[in-house]
Amino acid sequence: MGNFKLSRFVDSHRALLMLIVVFVGLSLTAPNFLNSYNLTTILKSASLYSVVMIGFALIFIIGELDLSVGAIVMLAGMLAIGLEPSLGWYGSFAAATLAGILVGLVNGLLVAKGKIHSFIVTLGMMSIVLGVMHIYSGGDSLSTEDYDLSDWLDEAKIELLPPIVIITLCLVLGANFFFNKTRLGRGFFVVGGNKETAWLAGLNKDRYIVLAFVISGMLSAVGGALFSMSLAAMPANVNLANNTLMAVLAATIIGGTLMSGGKGNILKCYFAVLLLSTIFNGISLFGYSYDIQIFVNGVILALVVLYESYAVYKQDALKGQNPKLLQSMLRSRER
Amino acid sequence: MSQVKSVMAETGQSPSRKNRGKLQISKSQIVFEKAGIYIIALALIIVGSLVSPQFLTIDNMLSVLRSISLLGMVVAGAAFVTYIGEYADLSIPAIIPLSGIVAVFALPLGVVPAVLLGMLAGMMIGVMNGLVIGYLRANPILWTLAVVFFMEGLMRFMMSNNQIYPDVSPGTSGADFIDLYRSEILGIPTIVVVMLVLLAISHWILRRTKFGQQAKLLGSAYEVAKTSGINVKRTVMIAFVLTALSSSVAGILITSFNKTGVYYLGQGYDFQAVTAIVLGGMTLSGGRGSIVGVLGGVLVIGLLSNLMTFMGVHPFQQKVVIGTIFILVVGLNQYQLRKMGKDHG
Repeated sequence: MGNFKLSRFVDSHRALLMLIVVFVGLSLTAPNFLNSYNLTTILKSASLYSVVMIGFALIFIIGELDLSVGAIVMLAGMLAIGLEPSLGWYGSFAAATLAGILVGLVNGLLVAKGKIHSFIVTLGMMSIVLGVMHIYSGGDSLSTEDYDLSDWLDEAKIELLPPIVIITLCLVLGANFFFNKTRLGRGFFVVGGNKETAWLAGLNKDRYIVLAFVISGMLSAVGGALFSMSLAAMPANVNLANNTLMAVLAATIIGGTLMSGGKGNILKCYFAVLLLSTIFNGISLFGYSYDIQIFVNGVILALVVLYESYAVYKQDALKGQNPKLLQSMLRSRER
Repeated sequence: MSQVKSVMAETGQSPSRKNRGKLQISKSQIVFEKAGIYIIALALIIVGSLVSPQFLTIDNMLSVLRSISLLGMVVAGAAFVTYIGEYADLSIPAIIPLSGIVAVFALPLGVVPAVLLGMLAGMMIGVMNGLVIGYLRANPILWTLAVVFFMEGLMRFMMSNNQIYPDVSPGTSGADFIDLYRSEILGIPTIVVVMLVLLAISHWILRRTKFGQQAKLLGSAYEVAKTSGINVKRTVMIAFVLTALSSSVAGILITSFNKTGVYYLGQGYDFQAVTAIVLGGMTLSGGRGSIVGVLGGVLVIGLLSNLMTFMGVHPFQQKVVIGTIFILVVGLNQYQLRKMGKDHG
């Protein structure tokens, strides 16, 4: 029995444990890994994925799928840079966030009220948002001359923690508190676990779904805007959208979020994001390039998917062998 | 099997007659459900011929057919995955370049062995997908996405981010290989013929074989199919292998067109395939739709982008239009099905 509990503990904290193992392994082997500059780099590179991940995981928890997050990141990044000369940083950040909220609202309304599968809605929306982004930027990358903000965001005020990382941490911890401790936050789990039960419990499931998509759109936009503000530029290459989607999806799954809904933990997903960022960092420290990064990302994702489906498979195989169940079935037949 | 067939008769073939009294389904609704996508295609052709006299010419229609033929080949197999209710095979962008690269590597053996080896390589991914998704019940979207990542990484690493060029000097098998895409049969481009043949085979498999019947029941209700004695695991596996086969045929022809084998040749085909399949009337919940409809979906995509190019719509704006039409048509289709009591979603 003790064995069983251990495996359960390992499974539920797998992101953190893997992060520790990888971190220790890289500290011992990789050159220039364990210094404050490199650790700050890891935390900074994780910030975009972490912020987007919160919304993406929320959509998973509620039992839907949002493929448009990468596209929203790019649109918001472009708006934040492109509107800065006319609106200032605050104005452009607000405009970018508003754009994300709008996209999320449309997604949510189409899924909840239009009753269209979220896979379809967000797939179409991804194409639309990327098109709008390219029309806005004219297909080019945008940049700004105003480096003050990007310098401020990137410069560590406290040891290891530049403002962009602090903002990310606040968002992650705030979201973790919101989803675990507040009534509204718990409601997402109820709706995602079983829509029928949620309805019977008096939760308006449509409102929760719309809200989840709005939050996802908003956080993707915030992540994209922060990313471009810290760079003072926004690349127009669609690869950024695909990579964001890929990393966020992998992190959400590794973090133990169920795609069928009702289960997930933001903090664990954050550890999974850190895990991926640390691995990517280690790969580049060893002098390997992008191809190895996506290979490793794919293998990790594949292994986690395999592991989870194997667990379900084993459970399914034992399903019919419950002696108590068999006896009760026999008894009911005699009756 | 007789049980299966009677279930099929009740659920699939003619439910409208049974429900007509209760739900009052009008004839136009049935026509829209069965032929909706072709009505849209016809509307596009009419708009096109109004926009430009050059639109409705044999040359332009042939170029539309040529532009959709590769996508048509891909969906000929990929439709099965959606049909059995496993959403979509997103690993198509990995299957396409892999089969092309292997075929180019095997060219010294001759064209036919190279093509066969390329198809075999693509099929291996299909077998792997089928084993994991069919036998272990992994989530198809997550698994096939993971496959895309690690296969792309692997292909880039093995070839150190480079392309591979076949030797195309006249008289070699490389020259024959790049002719595959460009050749014609009786004045019709070979690729169009290949697409039509593959779609015809798919249609036959879906409508006339035991596998097709089982796939329909599997897509409609997984548990029912399982308990009625269908080997569901094998059926799922066959669907993924068929996808991989048709995608690798497309992959070899794409490689023949580009004269290079390289990891990024398949980009975009996954989402295009989903778009075409779902536009063509197959629902993500499975068990509904036909290959004829899917061909209509592919046609609409080809006509739409051709028409927009004629009207001078910028490619960026085309993306917005296609995305909007995709959501609208699928939404309307699902709304119709719900109204007719055919979909529970």
